[in-house]
Amino acid sequence: MMSTNTSAPLVSIRGLHKAYSPTVQVIKGIDLDMHAGDRLVVIGPSGGGKSTLLRVLMGLETIDKGSIAFDGQPYIQADEARGKTSIDTKVRNSIGMVFQNYTLFPHLTIVENLILAPCKSRGEKESVAKDRALTFLTRFGLRDKATVYPSQLSGGQKQRVAIARALMLDPKLMLFDEVTSALDPELVAEVEQVIQQLALQNLSMMIVTHDMWFAKNIASRVLFCAGGTIVEDGPPEQVMGAPREERTREFLSRVFHIGA
Amino acid sequence: MDYNFAFVLRYQDALLVGLKMTVLVSLASIAIGCLWGFVLGMARGSSLRWARALATVYIEFFRGTPVIVQLFWVFFCLPLLLGIELSNMASGIVALSLYMGAISAESFRAALKTISPDQHNACVALGLSRYAEIRYVLMPQAILRAIPTLLSNCVSLFKESALVSAVGMADLMFVGQNISNATARPVEVLTVVALIYFVIAFPLTRGVTVLERKVLKGLAV
Ligand SMILES: Nc1ncnc2c1ncn2[C@@H]1O[C@H](COP(=O)(O)OP(=O)(O)OP(=O)(O)O)[C@@H](O)[C@H]1O
Ligand SMILES: [Mg+2]
Repeated sequence: MMSTNTSAPLVSIRGLHKAYSPTVQVIKGIDLDMHAGDRLVVIGPSGGGKSTLLRVLMGLETIDKGSIAFDGQPYIQADEARGKTSIDTKVRNSIGMVFQNYTLFPHLTIVENLILAPCKSRGEKESVAKDRALTFLTRFGLRDKATVYPSQLSGGQKQRVAIARALMLDPKLMLFDEVTSALDPELVAEVEQVIQQLALQNLSMMIVTHDMWFAKNIASRVLFCAGGTIVEDGPPEQVMGAPREERTREFLSRVFHIGA
Repeated sequence: MDYNFAFVLRYQDALLVGLKMTVLVSLASIAIGCLWGFVLGMARGSSLRWARALATVYIEFFRGTPVIVQLFWVFFCLPLLLGIELSNMASGIVALSLYMGAISAESFRAALKTISPDQHNACVALGLSRYAEIRYVLMPQAILRAIPTLLSNCVSLFKESALVSAVGMADLMFVGQNISNATARPVEVLTVVALIYFVIAFPLTRGVTVLERKVLKGLAV
């Protein structure tokens, strides 16, 4: 048994390849080590495979080649010969994800959304889970929404609940896939602030965003992904301030121009 | 010819016993049939080809044959094939449940289709087992969203349940027929029987419209 060793990366991706079909090669060989406490922001052009990378990490997709280890444990392995992917669901439980579209369960109240997984898949006592849920909701300024249904919340509130719901499971790594892209502009800040809060607590996270200002503020490291590979990888000041690669420069000048 | 509806009152106890049987058989078949229909509805929308094919064949077969033929088949053929004797009541419930499964499957399939696949992603990300996902996420929403059409399925089943009288089950129709034969007053008796069916089925049909508005409004995501 390999014990969690401090120098081992939290996530270690080796030779990752993923295609949705023979003609749609989306990830074409990615190697990546991410350390605990890293706040890795992934930027890049549309269709570059950013969401796919996060979905693979969440164990939502099969892969064609390569392997991923998490916290020193084997997590995802491609069995090329049999065309299968093995995913260790125990390891997967240490990872949480929030999606671009709201994914709250509409038939459950906010508190019920938060305690469903802790109670039904981890066997936590309902009263204990409820207390924890209310603590999260209070922290995120949603205490008064505990007993309402998702349809009564704004988009920003829904995303904050989705983040709280994932945190209820105490993940070691959080994945955020464009969690503010579906929001009205005036609601973006409240969600980004919640993520900033988590950053202050040193939670490891991987964030895909088109909001370059947010990326610059929150990242401890930036990946520029395009065409299914990592084109550039480094601290935010370097990748976003003084990019080495022509493709990164071109992309950044384009988005900052539109964004400004 | 003069009609005397008052005399039907003399048979109210017998009619009531028949009505109880009708309600019992209907409720049991609705409960079992809805569960079966949910399974069929899931299979219908499944990514497994063989599951889809099997469910489709089943549903089309049961919707494309007369219910009375299905009933007779369960009564007379099933015992021969399985080598076990089923009571009248059990056979009636089995036959009607199989039928209810077929007609409610479409309601469930349509309801399941309106649940966004994003919710499945969320379930995986939350570490919910497939069982927990079905039981706590898919099933409650499918039932809520299917309620309007399920109610009309229930009304159909309640009316079709009168067919069990043809195989000698003492339901409302059977009792009514007996009284009408014994008294030679079919007009009064059968009219009353029809009215009893109507008085129960009609509010249900109306209820569909009201519920449709209320339930669906609450579920808008
Ligand atoms: N389920 C799928 N089936 C087939 N092709 C897919 C699927 N999901 C994504 N793709 C394709 O894979 C490519 C990469 O998609 P992905 O969503 O990972 O890109 P992205 O970098 O997240 O883009 P965006 O910035 O637009 O979100 C795209 O060309 C997309 O059309
Ligand atoms: Mg994406």
